[in-house]
Amino acid sequence: MTTAEPPAAPRRGFGDAALCGLLIAGLALYAATLASPYGLRVLTLAGCQVLLVLGYQFIFGHAGLLSLAQGAFFGLGAYATAILGTRYHWDFAASFSVSVLVPLAVAAAVAVPALRLASHYFALATLGLAQVALLLVLNAGEWTGGAIGLTGVPGIAVLGETVPRGLPLAATVWSLVAVGACLSWRLTHGLTGAAYAVLRSDAIAAAALGLRAGWLRFSAFLLSAGYAGAAGALQAHTLGVVSSETLEFSLMVTCLAMTVIGGSTRIAGALLGALLLTYLPEWLRFLEGYAPLAYGAALLATIIAAPEGIAGAIEHAVRRRARPPTPQRPLALAPRRSRPAALEVRGLVKRFGGIVALDRVDLAVEPGEIVGLIGPNGSGKTTLANLLGGFVEPDEGVMRLGSRGLRGLGADRIAREGISRGFQTPVLPPRLSGLELVALARTTTAGRIGFLASLRGADAGYRRRHLEAEALELLGGVGLAGEALRPCASLPPSLAWRLELARALALDPGLVVLDEPAAGLGAREQAELAQRIREIAARGIGVLVIEHNMPFLLPTAHRLVVLDRGRVISKGKPKDVVQDPRVIAAYLGRERFSA
Amino acid sequence: MVTILQLGLNGLALGAAYALVALGFVLVLNATGAVNFAQGDLVMAGGYAAAILASALPLPGLALLPMAVGAMALLGLAVAALAYFPLMRRPPTAVFVSTIALGLVLQNATLALFGPEPRTAPPIWAGEPLRWGSLALSGQALAIIAVATLLVATQGWLLACTRLGRNLRATAQDREMAAALGIRVNAMIALSFALAAALAGAAGALLANQFFVTPSSGGALILKAYIAVVIGGWGSLRGAVLGALLVGLFETVVAAAVSYTAASALLYAALLAILLLRPQGLFGEAAGRRA
Repeated sequence: MTTAEPPAAPRRGFGDAALCGLLIAGLALYAATLASPYGLRVLTLAGCQVLLVLGYQFIFGHAGLLSLAQGAFFGLGAYATAILGTRYHWDFAASFSVSVLVPLAVAAAVAVPALRLASHYFALATLGLAQVALLLVLNAGEWTGGAIGLTGVPGIAVLGETVPRGLPLAATVWSLVAVGACLSWRLTHGLTGAAYAVLRSDAIAAAALGLRAGWLRFSAFLLSAGYAGAAGALQAHTLGVVSSETLEFSLMVTCLAMTVIGGSTRIAGALLGALLLTYLPEWLRFLEGYAPLAYGAALLATIIAAPEGIAGAIEHAVRRRARPPTPQRPLALAPRRSRPAALEVRGLVKRFGGIVALDRVDLAVEPGEIVGLIGPNGSGKTTLANLLGGFVEPDEGVMRLGSRGLRGLGADRIAREGISRGFQTPVLPPRLSGLELVALARTTTAGRIGFLASLRGADAGYRRRHLEAEALELLGGVGLAGEALRPCASLPPSLAWRLELARALALDPGLVVLDEPAAGLGAREQAELAQRIREIAARGIGVLVIEHNMPFLLPTAHRLVVLDRGRVISKGKPKDVVQDPRVIAAYLGRERFSA
Repeated sequence: MVTILQLGLNGLALGAAYALVALGFVLVLNATGAVNFAQGDLVMAGGYAAAILASALPLPGLALLPMAVGAMALLGLAVAALAYFPLMRRPPTAVFVSTIALGLVLQNATLALFGPEPRTAPPIWAGEPLRWGSLALSGQALAIIAVATLLVATQGWLLACTRLGRNLRATAQDREMAAALGIRVNAMIALSFALAAALAGAAGALLANQFFVTPSSGGALILKAYIAVVIGGWGSLRGAVLGALLVGLFETVVAAAVSYTAASALLYAALLAILLLRPQGLFGEAAGRRA
């Protein structure tokens, strides 16, 4: 049992909460005192837009994908409510549920193929989906009223009583908005939010952490669809009419503009964006025809000048000075599980076009063994590391860790299965702190990341403190405890390797693969790195070190494997290998050897 | 039989105009890895440029076309300066959003300046329709095919046979390597935007005679161009032209046989199917994932 002092988590959410509080208080005051019936109606509609934007933030803001189907999901929700309300006289609870479920079902059906697509393909596929939805609605006139739409949608009825328009309706809609906002807060302000930040900034860093990118994107897309359906249903109840305009591209663009202008990852951003763009046309009446022009220009200006939107700009402007970590009750940490496993590689072949990068390579790393992989430039060392990490698929051969076959698993899966990959140039998401990064890595092996996990509170409260305490212990183990709260981008190379090592160990690996870890380090740092590598091996973890630096590698490695032009030309004890004529030839050139 | 041939010719003319739009699209995509969503609105702007020039200058359409195209090239530079260069180091999504915003600005600026009523541009060639038995090809349709062929050929020659074209292609393939070779990469990117806008402008000026142009007519075009590019395979210029011709033919024939709505619905359905089943396009090889 060890104990660790967790520092206070960086409270990045505070500015968002304060801003939300201010906005809500202001709105409540306005609604209760100043608002006319027309004003209350606009306020209610603004609430629907807030919900729409809150949903869009999941896919656009957090997952970082440009979906152009959010307007279609909104329209589907609105039409579901209108059809069920006017034709079948369903009550609110039932029709609202269906209005959320219909877009969810459509999103689930298209998500699996669509999310495989790279950025603009995804945008295009969702745009196509939106166009198909619009054409369907226009041409299924019997059900949807065609271009005219449906009128006479009943209001929101609770317990057989219709909520009167005006303040009660506004209060009802805004309470549902509050529920949506709280849910979104819960889902995105924990480590799951940090996981999405890594996914957006660097796909390789996300894979190295073992993050399930596909699942994270899928759940974001579904949530966005569900929120859009709810928003559409509420708008249909508020307006009493639904027309095909709800499915047109202009609504989608408005939603996008609200999200970008307000801020795409903050709850206050959804509030600000939706309110501003709902009220702006009212305030800009004096501009007459030029109002939409101002609105396009504002969107362009925001994306250029304030990438995090107004809410982000406010938060940066009133940033509080960083608090020093406050000591908290020490947590008792269970010893981390270790899962020693031998790496076995047999007959591995990788071709790039006509070039054979790896030619029937065999390699074994026993638990607790340090194996050095050397070879001239271009001999295939990094290719081998990429294959082991699942970043590149081999053409032939066997790769196993323990009894587990590794081929075809994908990089994130392999990271969770026990191979941690360190990179030649540290791959660290720039804005995350070391503490968050390592805590994130701790969550992935245990499956404690993602919206479902957040909903269960797996990254909140005590558990989060526990994860952070574990992370801090790991950071302490590489001499980085004092820098735990520094953003990754600000770490110099002499500290970055330590963080890479801590992240690698956080995954409870059976094997750690390090690609030229000593490059660019001074003599003292190299000695410390060698010491850490020995410590890792002493815990029963295999270490594969790719390195050019022989003075560093020779005393550290138990065995050396030499690659030349994609083939293993020598292997054995370091002192034997460096005297192998084939190795000397590979390094010094064949002519000299034969001469 | 005659009707089918007639439809085919009309479809070819429409496809030729789409090809110009799609080509501009691919040029920018290759040069920047980003999608220019304002391309459709640039077509619309080209239509207006031709219509406005015609009302100001008493010149034939053929003389006005180069002026409109030149003006559009300048607008293309403005697009690059406003919507691309400030965002070059950000994720591709940012450029997507900025070009959507710029398209919105273009649309609404046109609306505010010229009002919502549809405009037409002068014909390039106002002569008698070309008759061939009972087949008739209007002068304008012929002009569209001729001008588009000329422009596509010129662009092909420019890219394949000139030093400038080589620099453009080098920039598209590997920006850092191109910069290391002393190619002025930013100038090449700006030029790609200018060329793309010029092609869009030509398409706009050509289409604005047969079909009316309104401030919002760019929206449908962008999707057609997009679909053409998907069919042809991203990044492939030849594929984009082929894709555009196919889209034009398909749209004309299905619209005549069933309805315009059915043509659009089928096109979008085909688009989704191609994206999901064969994302590398129907022709050519994969241009690589530009995620």
